[in-house]
Amino acid sequence: MKIPDISRRRFVQVAGAAATTQFPLSGADKPTAGAVVQRVQLALGGQWMADGVDGFKAGDPNTPVKSIVTTAMATMDVLKQAVQNGANLIFTHEPTFFGRQDGPAPPSPAGGLGGRPGDFPGISADDPVYLAKKEFIATNGLVVFRLHDNWLSRRRSDMTAGLAEMLGWAKNRVRPDDGLYQISSATAEETVALIRKKLKLRGGLRAVGDRTATVRRVLLLPGFTTPAVMRKRYREADMTITGEVREWENTFYAADVFTAGERRGLVTVGRVVSEDPGMRICAEWLKTVVTEAPVRWIPAGDLYWRAV
Amino acid sequence: MTGREVVELVRQNIGVPWRDQSYRDTFKFGDADAPIKGIATTMMVTFGMLKRANEAGLNMVVAHEPTFWSDRDETKDLLNDPLYKAKTAYMRENGMVIWRIHDHMHAMQPDYTVVGSLRSVGVKGGENAGMHPGVLPIPETTLGEFASQAKRFSGARALRCVGDPKAKVSKVLLGPGYATPRMTPDTDVVVGGEQQEVDGLFDNVQYVADAASLGIPKGLVMLGHVVSEQAGMEDLAKWMQTFIKGIPIKFVPADEPYWT
Repeated sequence: MKIPDISRRRFVQVAGAAATTQFPLSGADKPTAGAVVQRVQLALGGQWMADGVDGFKAGDPNTPVKSIVTTAMATMDVLKQAVQNGANLIFTHEPTFFGRQDGPAPPSPAGGLGGRPGDFPGISADDPVYLAKKEFIATNGLVVFRLHDNWLSRRRSDMTAGLAEMLGWAKNRVRPDDGLYQISSATAEETVALIRKKLKLRGGLRAVGDRTATVRRVLLLPGFTTPAVMRKRYREADMTITGEVREWENTFYAADVFTAGERRGLVTVGRVVSEDPGMRICAEWLKTVVTEAPVRWIPAGDLYWRAV
Repeated sequence: MTGREVVELVRQNIGVPWRDQSYRDTFKFGDADAPIKGIATTMMVTFGMLKRANEAGLNMVVAHEPTFWSDRDETKDLLNDPLYKAKTAYMRENGMVIWRIHDHMHAMQPDYTVVGSLRSVGVKGGENAGMHPGVLPIPETTLGEFASQAKRFSGARALRCVGDPKAKVSKVLLGPGYATPRMTPDTDVVVGGEQQEVDGLFDNVQYVADAASLGIPKGLVMLGHVVSEQAGMEDLAKWMQTFIKGIPIKFVPADEPYWT
């Protein structure tokens, strides 16, 4: 089930009264999931990118919406909490069904990362975890919509602002729409302890570089950080805080920078954890777009733990 | 002996077809025809490892992974990078020669990266394993106990785990470095080095977390890239000692980069 491609012409149509004819209201005050998504598309503005990963991943778009949840990733635990809270429409930033394909897919013809053809096919159609999750979604009448590309293209700055707010640094943004923040001076170890506490981390955080460095300026880069961004921006801050990097690229760049004598560091908190706070901002924004149903943020949280 | 002669001896002894087309297994820095005082084998050419090798009088580094922070060791965008300048200046001043052995190691039988990785997490039965050791049985234990054992054996500081620590596990599937395998129906625990966390071809983290939420016993143990392939570089040094005589060949580990 994919949202139809909304071209510019089509966009003009849905902006008018036609929006309610495609996804009719079920009652006086309950829009369908499809109608909510159309409102999101209009409110985000610009042209909706339909060729990326965004779209309905499970459930019937004609379902009347009781309550809405946003999350960085629709894990089983998030879905269970959504049901406990009476919610039936979930906006997830990351996949629901174990990969970018978000469901069963043919094996990669080029071979998998392990070097053998078929090493990394998507989830198989008869996989017990996949089937159980699908059944849970169906039994509870949930609708899951992935909001990634279109959210980032318009609201990437909010993903950064959300993370800053969660860390208590929101007021100290150096430049609008940027990831640099001035913070109260602390050591790298103290700053990491604060990050752990504020993001409620368990085992996912890993730090590289000088643990005794004084941190006054931080660079927040939620999500994945590429080598190009790393090399361009790493020296603007005492500590760069991101979701994830490739170890053999940016992790060892940061380790070598430390060996070369620069007193700065890189902290990876986990991709999902770094995106959770931004989806909290998304929930706040959705409240202004949908007034007929409550909107709640449910963080996916830190899925990792540390061996003892 | 020169670096080029060292590589020629490796070629003659490796027992698998030589891959001239590999962009990975090439000289990355230095004069391949300069005399070699000694050889350091290592997992990743970190700046710290380079210094330790040099201080030990070893001016050739035989490494499994890159020197310049990308798989292709592409340097054209790095020429003005201060770290690139500092690292290459150090290597130049000390007459160091870097050669990478990646694709050939994974083609070798056994694949020392896999043999070393299995040993470093305490899994038996992989002493002659190739790149794809398959699912290996272990005495039944809990995921938490297995992870503790992996941490104890490997010394990894930043090992990360997903799944229910109380889950009963007895079947392990391991892949070294970035070749972390996907979870399969006949596997209880996947052990890997690193892998994109989400939005990839198969997201182990979400799968294992959801399995735990559904009461299905699955586990994921991520060692970190260096820790997952490091031990095998000691095996490689020992193997090279069998056919390269007269110069020291030592294993000089790359440090696990993390503090937590």
